[in-house]
Amino acid sequence: MRLLIVDDSNMIRIRISRVVKNGGLKNVAVVGLAKNGLEAIRIAKVARPDVVTMDLTMPEMDGIECIAALIKLDPKINILVVSALSDKSTAIAALKLGARGFVAKPFTDEELQIALLDVSDSR
Amino acid sequence: MANLTEADLKLFVDSIKHYLKVTTRQEPQITSAFLGTGDVQGFEFNGIVTFSGSYNGHVVVSMPARLLRELLLLQHETDLSDGNLLDAVGEIANTLAGNARKTLGSGLVISVPVKMQGAPGIKSRVRKHPFVITLRWNHHEAMVCVDMEKQD
Repeated sequence: MRLLIVDDSNMIRIRISRVVKNGGLKNVAVVGLAKNGLEAIRIAKVARPDVVTMDLTMPEMDGIECIAALIKLDPKINILVVSALSDKSTAIAALKLGARGFVAKPFTDEELQIALLDVSDSR
Repeated sequence: MANLTEADLKLFVDSIKHYLKVTTRQEPQITSAFLGTGDVQGFEFNGIVTFSGSYNGHVVVSMPARLLRELLLLQHETDLSDGNLLDAVGEIANTLAGNARKTLGSGLVISVPVKMQGAPGIKSRVRKHPFVITLRWNHHEAMVCVDMEKQD
């Protein structure tokens, strides 16, 4: 499984990478780190990820716009939203666009691992 | 500030407690919560999120370097540069603001966080009567400053 991590916070990008590396997700390899939606699309075109963790509030291009662009690029891509925007309408908007799951910030390592496994299994 | 209720403001108290408890497993102690003046004394690292839409204003998270370094170390982060400390405090402000939408509604529009280094950073953003929450986490003092009003 090829994972692209999209978040404008370096702390979160590194944390998700660590959870993947140390958390028993042995079949998952991080193939890219992006700090906004535009960078995510550029990396996705080259790295062809199967799974994407997606922040929503980001500069340049936000997560909602990026989800739509990535689904257009690869309709089979699995997107897990990882965001502080945990209100129902935001989650519904992301899921309607094609995201497969939602993890609210702040999150524990265990919550993220379970969500990543769920999204990976939904392929 | 007159339009904000006690319940609206309590959500920021609960939110910072929840953030630190979930990410570090150590809940902070809230040392005070009061209506302050524009002369707020902040700390060196400041994360600021601006509200628009149904509310106008800001939330500012102000923390000292020592607290942020410990917080990053607990997350196994080894890069403790000032840039990473600013990134961390910005992410905390972003999380508090984003979580507030759950209670204040999706009409609350939040900006990407602005990060400022230097104690005067907080003063440049707050207006006359911000709501100030002071806290202690792992022997370190920090502050969350909420300065927002509801739009009609």
